[in-house]
Amino acid sequence: MNPIAERFLDLNRRRFLGGISSGIGSIALGSLGATEASIRPVPGGFKRFAPKAKRVLCLFQSGGLSHVDLFDDKPMLHEHAGKELPPSIKGTQRLTGMTSGQSAYPVVPPLKTGKRCGKHGTWISDLLPHIQTLADDICIVKSLHTEAINHDPGITYMNTGNQLPGYASMGAWVSYGLGTVNENLPAFIAMVSQGTGKNPGQPIFSRLWGSGFLPSSHQGVGLRPGKNPVLYLQNPPGVEPAQRRAALDDLAKLNTLRAEDLGDPETITRIKAYEMAYRMQTSVPDLADISGESTETLESYGPEVHKPGSYAANCLLARRLLERNVRFVQLFHRGWDQHIAITKQLPNQCRDIDQPTAALLKDLKQRGLLDDTLVVFTTEFGRTVFSQGKLGDAGMGRDHHGRSFTVWLAGGGIQGGIEYGATDDFCYNIVENPVHIRDLHATILHCMGIDHAQFTHRFRGLNVRLTGVEEAHVVKAILAT
Amino acid sequence: MRHIALWISVATPALLQAAPLEYNRDIRPILSENCFSCHGFDEKGRKAKLRMDVAEEAYADRDGVIALKPGDLNNSDAWKRITSEDADELMPPPKSHLKLTPSDKQKLKRWIEEGAKYDGHWSFLPPKRSPFEAVHAIDTLIRKRLTEEGLTAAPPADRATLIRRLSLDLTGLPPNSMEVSRFVNDPSPNAYEALVDRFFKSAHFGERMALEWLDAARYADTNGFSIDGGRHMWLWRDWVIQAFNDNKPYDRFLLEQIAGDLLPERTTADLIATGFQRNNMVTHEGGTIPEENLTNYNADRVKTLGEAVLGLTLGCAQCHDHKFDPITQKEYFQLFAFFNSLGDKGLDGNAGINPGPFIEAKTPLKTEELPALRARISSLRATLARPDAKILSDWENRQQTLLSKQGLDFEAHPAEILKVSTPNRGGGIEIDGSSVRLKQAIEMGAFDVSMLLPKVAKPITGLRITVHPVATLPGGGWGHGPEDKRPAKKKEAPAATPPKMKGSFMLTSLSATSGAIASDQINLHKLEPIARTSANSWEEKYPPSGCLDPRNDSGWSPALASEGPVRLTVTFSEPIDPVRTPFLTTQLVFGHGSKLTPEHIELAAITGTDDDSDLPAEIIRILRSPSEQRSPAQKAGLWNYCATHSEALARARTDLANLEERLASLTQDFPTMVMNVAEKPRETFILERGDYAKPTLKVAEGTPRALPPMPEGAPANRLGLAQWLIMKDNPLTARVAVNRFWKMFFGIGIVATPADFGAQGEWPTHPELLDWLASEFTESGWDVKHLLKRFVLSDTYRQSSVASKELLERDPQNRLLARGPRFRLPAELVRDAVLKTSGLLTEYIGGPSVNPYSPGDLWREVSHYGSSPATAQTFVQDHGEKLYRRSLYTYWKRTAAPPNMSAFDAPNREVCTVSRGNTTTPLQALVTLNDPQFVEAARALAQRTLHQPGSDSTRLRWAFAEAISRDPKPEELHILKGALARERAGYATKTDRAQKALSVGESVRDLSLSPLEHAAWMQVASLILNLSEAVTRN
Repeated sequence: MNPIAERFLDLNRRRFLGGISSGIGSIALGSLGATEASIRPVPGGFKRFAPKAKRVLCLFQSGGLSHVDLFDDKPMLHEHAGKELPPSIKGTQRLTGMTSGQSAYPVVPPLKTGKRCGKHGTWISDLLPHIQTLADDICIVKSLHTEAINHDPGITYMNTGNQLPGYASMGAWVSYGLGTVNENLPAFIAMVSQGTGKNPGQPIFSRLWGSGFLPSSHQGVGLRPGKNPVLYLQNPPGVEPAQRRAALDDLAKLNTLRAEDLGDPETITRIKAYEMAYRMQTSVPDLADISGESTETLESYGPEVHKPGSYAANCLLARRLLERNVRFVQLFHRGWDQHIAITKQLPNQCRDIDQPTAALLKDLKQRGLLDDTLVVFTTEFGRTVFSQGKLGDAGMGRDHHGRSFTVWLAGGGIQGGIEYGATDDFCYNIVENPVHIRDLHATILHCMGIDHAQFTHRFRGLNVRLTGVEEAHVVKAILAT
Repeated sequence: MRHIALWISVATPALLQAAPLEYNRDIRPILSENCFSCHGFDEKGRKAKLRMDVAEEAYADRDGVIALKPGDLNNSDAWKRITSEDADELMPPPKSHLKLTPSDKQKLKRWIEEGAKYDGHWSFLPPKRSPFEAVHAIDTLIRKRLTEEGLTAAPPADRATLIRRLSLDLTGLPPNSMEVSRFVNDPSPNAYEALVDRFFKSAHFGERMALEWLDAARYADTNGFSIDGGRHMWLWRDWVIQAFNDNKPYDRFLLEQIAGDLLPERTTADLIATGFQRNNMVTHEGGTIPEENLTNYNADRVKTLGEAVLGLTLGCAQCHDHKFDPITQKEYFQLFAFFNSLGDKGLDGNAGINPGPFIEAKTPLKTEELPALRARISSLRATLARPDAKILSDWENRQQTLLSKQGLDFEAHPAEILKVSTPNRGGGIEIDGSSVRLKQAIEMGAFDVSMLLPKVAKPITGLRITVHPVATLPGGGWGHGPEDKRPAKKKEAPAATPPKMKGSFMLTSLSATSGAIASDQINLHKLEPIARTSANSWEEKYPPSGCLDPRNDSGWSPALASEGPVRLTVTFSEPIDPVRTPFLTTQLVFGHGSKLTPEHIELAAITGTDDDSDLPAEIIRILRSPSEQRSPAQKAGLWNYCATHSEALARARTDLANLEERLASLTQDFPTMVMNVAEKPRETFILERGDYAKPTLKVAEGTPRALPPMPEGAPANRLGLAQWLIMKDNPLTARVAVNRFWKMFFGIGIVATPADFGAQGEWPTHPELLDWLASEFTESGWDVKHLLKRFVLSDTYRQSSVASKELLERDPQNRLLARGPRFRLPAELVRDAVLKTSGLLTEYIGGPSVNPYSPGDLWREVSHYGSSPATAQTFVQDHGEKLYRRSLYTYWKRTAAPPNMSAFDAPNREVCTVSRGNTTTPLQALVTLNDPQFVEAARALAQRTLHQPGSDSTRLRWAFAEAISRDPKPEELHILKGALARERAGYATKTDRAQKALSVGESVRDLSLSPLEHAAWMQVASLILNLSEAVTRN
């Protein structure tokens, strides 16, 4: 569909949802191609402008990815290696209970050497050799910051815009605002993989892809390996597809009869929901079946692509979902919480994601999907430049660091091949162009053609926004012109 | 949320012209939305020092400028600003993104012209009792509005619809066909009222009423934050159910929950009740700052009090004065102070132990089931004690076969260990060929061992783990753990002389994945099924099969008397081909704690048949002796072993265990979290921007000034707070409660925003009715059943829900009630209904939460399993009657709530919810079509149907009526008959397929039924259970 037509459709849809449901047979497209039983007004509506991206791919690295080791090397870290972090840098900001009692805070330089990559010579660790090759396509933001210093609040903040539970996730917001394009698949799909650096990693929660106060039809639908990629997808044993089809036809007939008797539009909606469920029974296995992928493609994602449920396998599925116009695809890769044994754990975590991430980006690019897909590679916070535990000990690691961390973006709406924002010589504090989590959210919505300030949902007397109550700014400098 | 729809239905321009303006209904919402955030109650946020929420301030002459001059539009500065063309002058300012609609402006214009009259916020004024006859007040007031709108009430619903409606509303379960026909044919003029009274007496009434309160109270079985470990709060749930069944007056219901611990002569039940404000989420995430957590917990308590009890969004005043309602930040923290005296900790509640404070107590549930329960237990024990020749010989034959094959072609091949991964350790792991040495004594841990399988020509049938004794370990044993590994009962005195130490270990879980490429970790989605476990030594309580239950309290542990290496062998269900999948990863979890971890582990792949056994040596000895030579004691021992281990008696053992657990849950003490007052209560400060780290002014307990003061003599503590909530002069408590009850019966509240009766909340559709109900409620002594009886006896409630197209257009949400209420059932009731219809429902009420069918271990995907002593990290399904308990007893893990209920809008219970969504999605269809719980219910309903006498038509009619409480129409019956014929033809001669269809679910099938016939009827039953009407209350 062309963008103007699509936008027109969206506007009509909005108007429809904001208005009143007409009689029997009306159906609004929610995240699941279905509608809420109650009418959903959007207070004041929200202005949409021509979006740069139609879909979002969020690669969430759960646990706190070490910006120090992977993206933000500084000469001073080597000069100061093993020496105490200067108090002027460390300041008085709060530390977690895990390191606040340490007697020393020695600086630890990046684990591995790195390379100056891309035309602009950005430094990327040799632990990420494949991501190094993306330098000209991605925009590395080195000045993200958050108030959260622990996982639960931190990860909830990045994914829902608030440190406490009860709010809607990014994907749910996007589904709520833009709906679905593909009538056979949900608008928001989430996939989880376990990291091999630290397994189990920090726990994650369904609220991270939940709908919070938004209607539950906007919650992310989990996609899993195995015979039921979506929960309860498969017909029970002993029930054939044709048999099911015939039963659903009867069901529709019976429901229609009754809906006409009662004057019940909800039943008509339910008939359509059953039809979409039936279509999903074909569309989802088709999506999950990678047997048609070329050897070349499969190889590009690395050997783990054959391991169902791995990050690599999920990356390939992500491309297949985006190809099918799923609005918001999110991967959660666990295990980035390197408090201890960072020298053992971090290389594993990097190996999990390096090749598949690079392959996915290149795959999207090659298929022309990157132009209108916004890619966000993010985490909940960074890690401290100082060691947690004794310096040089095999058990040494890094603690959480919310004051500055690195994320990167690419694709629709984003200017590739640049760096934005900077930390000080110790990659501890931000010295240039700070970007708060809410600014990142505002920017994501902007790329999707949504003004974050106007995109609200009425809840408990407030017009709630993904970007929260504080002022948020679109990071204009990283947008493609 | 429902503003727009309401507006369209009630505020047509013509009406607006005709009706006088009502400040609270017509003007306040406009001002609140557009003006108050800068010109309202919040002093810090106030611009130009102008208040528009108070008449005197808005009318005031401020240097010649008057914001509102009553009756004088031209000299009202506000009007000039509202209509200004100048962006700098315009109000609301463009950058606020707020905009007045032409209709808003029209109303404001008229309001100013008519005198700009203010009124106190309606919900802060005492309810006005209209003089209506009690019996007819609801109908009178609903019809008054209908007449104003030019609408008429619908005729009464037919009796079949009525009983279904009433039964679902009062018990949460649909009536069966017998109940329906009895009521439909009851000639008594009081039949309906008698029905109401019968449902009020049902124990299921309490379950039904509890559901909404559990949402509001954010009840769950886990701690919620971070690792989300298990807690024990079900005694509080029992208390709620019992309170409704006892018809505890609502004021008492609140008093005990808010301040039960402070009541004079408090009972244990009063203490249990205080769990209400302990249902909040807590964390034990290492690294978090206790003060911050405690602030969050208490903020959640204030928020919940506001939304669930007062209908105020108090949470809005945590960071600043409330923007819309007269609650200052100081007042917020005064309310906060009431709960801040609690003696809880900022990091607490790990390992399945409740966060403090908690008590151990007996359930307050009243039931009469004990004699019957004890009788069933005795009978089952007797069954298991009485040798059954057939079961014994079947079992013995199987054991003899296994023994005869024991060690057949057996070989153990050392595995080549490639890597050992563990989440929380940096070093101390040495790998040497097929051996791993864990050099450091650790409390607990999970180890993923990745290995290359030996290149043998034969398939790998299993895996052997050998643990060697190590001289340097305590007592030269196998591990670091203490000799007495049973968790110490805290009430037991420590032994006078510590027992001699022999270091041991406990393998709490073993799982494995094979693959074509090496894998550091097992793949949760591809675990090798394990057919059998054996060992050469074990303690009776910790047999080899113990490690198949992944929870930390079961496992394999060797008998301390054993000497030398001890080994465990697992046999896979399907042998592994070491050529196709040469890599195997096994996860060994030593999760019990107490340092029950080993040091020297050796791994081997096995081929052939295991040469160990899962049978104790004594049993093997008996089995190997000719049966005629066995002594009576040996025979008894053999039967005893068979009774406790044979598959044939597994169901009886499950039933017995479930009944014993039920008995215990009714008669023994269990932990539950309660409120208390700390020895040194925390002081409360106003926190700048709500930040725990920025205390400013110290405050004492107090209630907001905009509401009537606390009653005289009320103490300045939670007891006083509770007394204030339930005092007659509190204008909110009763209104909020009746509105919430109303919503349960009419689908939507009289105030559509049940958590917000403030300025941003919605104006009631029937203010007079709300007030009448509120005063009727308090005057009846807060009698809940009395109130509900008023609801259900009203003609309004009993109307038909059939809607014309015109009426649907006019009032899609049925706010005016020109027809009977219709809505989809809440998630729990969708499941409960099929359980009842299928005959599978376990009827008893209360008790600990249960884990019915789940599609795999959804907990482990997101949890900290293997790295934490917390419970609820891995899902283990229950069996027997626990599979069929009502849904409000399903174990509620907040970070991974039961998916079959989440699909139907059940909230995750992280925060207070007083209004669930109501969506229609394909995921719901997948649940009711494919979830084993629903598929099994279809099978059971088919079985019940086949047990009915009569023709196909008779049976179809019966099944239809049983599920949806009415007779099918001829055309419906025709379709069902067609479906049955088609299914019969489909399964004809396909016994295998039929058996597969019938295999779903653990309940026993009546084997006398033809599988072909049963399978065909099962599909028809599924069709009926999937009717839209089956999930709807009409």
